[in-house]
Amino acid sequence: MSGSLWVWLSAFLTLCIFSFLYKDNPFYRFAEHLFVGTSAGYLIALSWHNTVYPNLYVPLIKEHQYLYILPLMLGLIYLTRFIPKFSNLIRIPIAFLLGWGSGVVIPAEIQTDVIKQIQGTLLTRGMFTRWDNALWSLIILIGVIATLVYFFFSRERKGVLKPISSVGVIFIMLGFGASFGYTVMARISLLIGRLQFLLGDWLHLIK
Amino acid sequence: MNLGERISKIPRQIIYLFMAAAIVFPLIVPIGMPINVMPQTKKLVDKIEALPPDSKPVLISCDFDPQSMPELYPMLQAALNHLLSKNIKVLVMALWPQGAGMGEMALGEIAPVLNKKYGEDYVFLGYKAGAAAVILGLGDKIVNVFPADYYNKPLASFPLTESLTNYNDLSMVLTLSAGTPGYREWLAYGQSKFGVPVGAGVTAVSAADAYPYLGSGQLIGLFAGMKGAAEYETALIKGGYKLLFHQAIKAMDAQSLGHLFIMIFIIIGNVGFFIMRRKK
Repeated sequence: MSGSLWVWLSAFLTLCIFSFLYKDNPFYRFAEHLFVGTSAGYLIALSWHNTVYPNLYVPLIKEHQYLYILPLMLGLIYLTRFIPKFSNLIRIPIAFLLGWGSGVVIPAEIQTDVIKQIQGTLLTRGMFTRWDNALWSLIILIGVIATLVYFFFSRERKGVLKPISSVGVIFIMLGFGASFGYTVMARISLLIGRLQFLLGDWLHLIK
Repeated sequence: MNLGERISKIPRQIIYLFMAAAIVFPLIVPIGMPINVMPQTKKLVDKIEALPPDSKPVLISCDFDPQSMPELYPMLQAALNHLLSKNIKVLVMALWPQGAGMGEMALGEIAPVLNKKYGEDYVFLGYKAGAAAVILGLGDKIVNVFPADYYNKPLASFPLTESLTNYNDLSMVLTLSAGTPGYREWLAYGQSKFGVPVGAGVTAVSAADAYPYLGSGQLIGLFAGMKGAAEYETALIKGGYKLLFHQAIKAMDAQSLGHLFIMIFIIIGNVGFFIMRRKK
């Protein structure tokens, strides 16, 4: 068994959390509250040391770059949310953030998630050099079109739209199935990680 | 009480016990189930493998926290092991605050054992807030985003980083991503805008969402979850590399048995459901 106090503490807290699998109990609640409190404190300290201190305190206070008063003011105006008389001012930093965010995000997202994805769906001559590539490309094209038809709500699903949208449902279900399978895999992986810690670092039963 | 009702009334604690046994047993007594290297993993391994020893540095971004360690930390260890063994220079950074701790820990475990020198073979840049601004800024001038490394030493003082300007001086970016910011930000602001090749290691939860980017060629390869990490480790062992850690391979028996039990329980649950429905 481990001789480290921290390993024992981690093992105890892990077992406290696992005890919820039997039923809710004070040990679980203690570990849960401790985790929430520690995380909040840790994140505040991290935000100060990694964000506020190097990006605002150092340039403004230590290097006397007074232009940094502007972002400081914008940040402080966010707090007017708590003063009803001045709460309208919060629109200024929100407008700034929305303007900057939209300018940066919209072109990048369109490029990444629309244009390049459409390009990836298009059939090109090169895809037909191998039969398996051609087959998968066709399946992807059919899947994309059928799924889009399923989400086309401007017309009633009858006539030609009905069978196409039914094919779309099959592709959507396949997508959900893949997501569910991967989610199960992720959760099992996390459990394995904790059990490797308990059996290895704590009990020394495995290397 | 018929069979269907009996099945529906199995206490959930019994199912948990079976699951725990299915996972603990192969961890203590490994079965050694075979691990197949999937095409998406092979693609990324081959891309890294194709880099010559004197190639431009690889930037690894640790975009995860301790909650995703079982899945992404083995990938980080394997990638550092792979790159440094090939004498490829490495820059490590993080878009998640806790990712910096992960990066520092992995470098501490791997680099000294492989006799790599800080500043010459690898540099740790640490965490920087504001993912979009960071990724866009790196495309302009790396030193503007990271004037100093994690330990506050100027980048200009290291042989590895003194002449680095932007993505043109990097071979590729490998992001180990547990969510946002992560591989999608690297694609949107790094790959789309600057054309830097991006490979990703993702948690299994986000793997299904990452596949379309692999199909469209935006990602040069993908490690998906702990299985992806195990495939990477397996590919490296097959390629003759001496791995310092292979935690993911050790976990694969447990992963497979865990999945088997879940499938069995899903089948039992459905059998119970259909028996009950027929009775009604």
